[in-house]
Amino acid sequence: MDENDMIDEEEYEFSRNYFLAKESGKSVKKSSAHKVSELNLADEQELRAEVSNIEPRHEKEIALLINSYKKLYNEWVFELRYGFGILMYGFGSKKTLIEDFASTALTEYNVIVVNGYLQSINLKQVATAMAEVLWDQLKMQLRSASGGTSRDQQPFNSRSMDDLIAFLDEPHKTENECLVCLVIHNIDGPGLRDSDTQHLLARIAACSHVRIVASIDHVNAPLLWDKKMVHVQFNWCWHHVPTFAPYKIEGVFHPLILAHGGTSQSVKTASIVLQSLTPNAQSVFKVLAEHQLAHPDEEGTCLTFSVFKIHHVLGDIWYD
Amino acid sequence: MSPVSDDDVSLPHISDNDLKPFYVLHKASDCQQRVKKPVGRSSRKVKVNLSASLATSDEGEMQDDQLHENSRMKNFHNAWVKIESTIKDVLHNINADVFNEVDSWVHKSFDSICSNGKPDANKATCAYPIVTDVTAKQIFTALVVMNNMEFVDDLQTFADLGTHLQSHGCHVANLSSVDFSVKSGIGGCLRSLLRQILSSSIDVADISVLASWYIEHDNYKHPVVVIIEDMDRCSGPVLSDFILMLSEWVIKIPVILILGVATTLDASKSILTSKAVQHLSPSKFFLGSPADRLDAIIKAVLVKPCSGFLVGHKVAGFIRNCFLRQDGTLTSLVRAVKMALVQHFLMEPLSFAVNGLLDEESEESTSVAEAWPKQAFDLPSCSRRLSEPKSEVALDGPSKMIEVMNLWSCVVLCLHEAGKKQKTTLLDLYYEALDPKLYNLRHSDHLELKPDSQRPSWIQGINGTSSKMQKGGLIGQTTRQVRDLSPAALLQLVEKWSKQTDGFIEIHEKVKELQLQEKIEDDTLKELANRSRRQTIRNSGNLDRSTKTLNDKAAALISCMTRDHMQPIECIPFHEIVCFKNVDKLQAALCGDPRRRIQLDLLECHNFLKCSCCGKSSNAPSSSMHDTTLMYTLAQEHGDLINLHDWYQSFRAIIFQKTVKERHRMKVSPSPKKRKMTAEPQNITEASVQARFCRAVTELQITGLLRMPSKRRPDFVQRVAFGL
Repeated sequence: MDENDMIDEEEYEFSRNYFLAKESGKSVKKSSAHKVSELNLADEQELRAEVSNIEPRHEKEIALLINSYKKLYNEWVFELRYGFGILMYGFGSKKTLIEDFASTALTEYNVIVVNGYLQSINLKQVATAMAEVLWDQLKMQLRSASGGTSRDQQPFNSRSMDDLIAFLDEPHKTENECLVCLVIHNIDGPGLRDSDTQHLLARIAACSHVRIVASIDHVNAPLLWDKKMVHVQFNWCWHHVPTFAPYKIEGVFHPLILAHGGTSQSVKTASIVLQSLTPNAQSVFKVLAEHQLAHPDEEGTCLTFSVFKIHHVLGDIWYD
Repeated sequence: MSPVSDDDVSLPHISDNDLKPFYVLHKASDCQQRVKKPVGRSSRKVKVNLSASLATSDEGEMQDDQLHENSRMKNFHNAWVKIESTIKDVLHNINADVFNEVDSWVHKSFDSICSNGKPDANKATCAYPIVTDVTAKQIFTALVVMNNMEFVDDLQTFADLGTHLQSHGCHVANLSSVDFSVKSGIGGCLRSLLRQILSSSIDVADISVLASWYIEHDNYKHPVVVIIEDMDRCSGPVLSDFILMLSEWVIKIPVILILGVATTLDASKSILTSKAVQHLSPSKFFLGSPADRLDAIIKAVLVKPCSGFLVGHKVAGFIRNCFLRQDGTLTSLVRAVKMALVQHFLMEPLSFAVNGLLDEESEESTSVAEAWPKQAFDLPSCSRRLSEPKSEVALDGPSKMIEVMNLWSCVVLCLHEAGKKQKTTLLDLYYEALDPKLYNLRHSDHLELKPDSQRPSWIQGINGTSSKMQKGGLIGQTTRQVRDLSPAALLQLVEKWSKQTDGFIEIHEKVKELQLQEKIEDDTLKELANRSRRQTIRNSGNLDRSTKTLNDKAAALISCMTRDHMQPIECIPFHEIVCFKNVDKLQAALCGDPRRRIQLDLLECHNFLKCSCCGKSSNAPSSSMHDTTLMYTLAQEHGDLINLHDWYQSFRAIIFQKTVKERHRMKVSPSPKKRKMTAEPQNITEASVQARFCRAVTELQITGLLRMPSKRRPDFVQRVAFGL
């Protein structure tokens, strides 16, 4: 049949391209043995400064392109409302677009943003925050409906993940629909890429009080999900929204390809890593740094704490 | 340029929030919550309108638009509720028998456990273990075979089974393979079980909690049913441990297991340990086949217009292909229908006029509008009809449309009945019956023939003398099959047709006529056969001939029904109002194609940015191009490995191209440091080119189109995608 022929042809085309690429790869490899070190490379510090100062181009066109998606906002809200998850893909950072959508069109929902491009994300904390905002809204509605005080709730941060998901999924009798919209930038990002996290996200997305808006950038992102996740839990509605906007924040954690080995990690990267840590871990580092500054002469300048000393210094935080 | 100090580390346009793993963007605004209606649209705040006539300045029209928009959304909601409940009913009917079987088995098993002695407070508190007899440690287990490798479709079935059993007094817990993972171990599934049965949060995963709950109040009067929907995907050791544990407690807590089996019946033996298998006392149950379910859903939702929403031929083809070639799950089919529904009501401004159309109840209460709204006369299907020479053809209102559509579905179902023997699926038949081209062909053939009377033309048609379409198509095949039916089968078929066509006078009368002839024929044949049994040989010839004519007549009848009454929706004027045809949009929303689309974005960037600086038609590399797209275009010239040095050089050469042109023969200074000092805005430093190169590589890495240099090949990056 016609369609089969087309598929065959596509497959043929693909394999042909692949082998051609392999072939030319060999020839190039033979002829071109240039090394990166032969280039007159700027030093890493200068390169980083230049990267952050790259003159933006096509700014007007990009802004127009992003603005042109505004007319789709209604459609997206409608799809969200009726149980679809919105999945945006296409080249360019979609961060601005999604956040603009969330803050203009989703004002009736609680919106929580997850930055999936960061290295480590604690989903338990995200779920706790979701449960908290939902509870706040429910409490307010119950209070306005009954005029009395609402029942007490066990603090969410001491609850298990299963409990949190059950809370987000349980039917609450309220006058209006209470929804928490979870916006996930780069659901295929490094911090969320593993299978367990994706399954957990899918379970959260399937809750009756949760709606999900996410973006992917990786061409193979769909491989993260099985049929249950795609059709039942996330229930994705795909939207191709290329923006061509630079991946500023998304690209911060990637080493520069022309930088020498990345031996001198800049303060910027360190500070970013530090900021992405949990508050508790941040304060551990803070105490360590303060201790080191307060005792500059002690045991040289390196962080050569003994285990005993760490216990001593951090005792307050750990045993709080 | 000022030297970069260490203080200057914060990146421009990166806020604190960007670096937090998560944050609350905003909370639901309360004032709007109060204004909002439960089933209204939620996006009133957005200043974009769905309707096409957005530019109208007239306030009255604006109000009309708003009203129409509201009724579109209401119509969508009603249509979806209707479809959803129809699907639920269909599945419920299909599963009802199995569910009842399982239910009675559960109660029988419970009685047999209880015959060993009902659990009471003494037993529950006596020392552990209480069971010494091995045969008493048996767990009654139902193996429910799904007949379907795709467990997605059966998730709902098991959820429904749970509700069904619960409504019949059982304590039910629905577990899945997620609960039986090695990671969470036996504690995980136990916790899940306790949470569902006790409906409260439990800190300690201990089966004794369940035992003591079971003897409380009247709980012990009912069995505890544990449903595991996808046994094949569970971790064997964890499930085995779970079964062993339950078997130890089976007298205190009479647990009955229901295991969903997707593969084969002996799957339990290969997954579980032999010790665990010993404790199972299995019974088998079979769920309906996916093909039956598919046919039932297609019939209820798409063939019988249950909701005032239909899909066009191409969309039906897409849905069919999705099912047959890609996914094979009912879940995805239902999802496709929902998505089509959403898209239709979002895109079709006139869908506000659906308003209870095709809804049987509203048809009775005569709430169907008498005429289409005036805007509808601009629809292509309508203007086409008006421009035809025979413009006396009345442009009928919604009620006529209902009539035509009901006739169509009646004929399709008759055809399906006829094809059932040959296992013709309704999905294929439905797809072909929607084809407007085939319908037009059928008609033009008919007109060409200009028959004197109708009857010979049917026969001519089926004999294949003129009909082009009847030869190959499924409908043609089905029609021909009618001629080969045995007399008994033919009798049955005509009877079914008679039931199916009840209410459609024009067809029903013909069917009745045929039935009558059949009866007369049958009676005379019986008489003949009785009268001269000895002349069997001669009579059998007669018998054959007469049944043949009957078969021919039946075939002619269905052929005539097909030609005259099976008018596809796309051939009816105003069909745009109820019919969704935009297959591309549906496909894009259902199955995104990031691998292809992201590459196309990069290779055809100009289609999106539409800038004046880059060449309009060609995608030849130029310095004004977006850096990453330029780099990706350049990468196409390389093999699977890209030499970073060469790639950088070609990138650099193109970046400097424009500058060279502009400066007329100005020689590029060999030292980048010197050029850096010049104050010209167009000046491009080597470092800035390197920075742009780095960023473009990073962006390609984010899209997954490049693999970074390995230790073995530090000077090469690897291409991942070849061709779109």
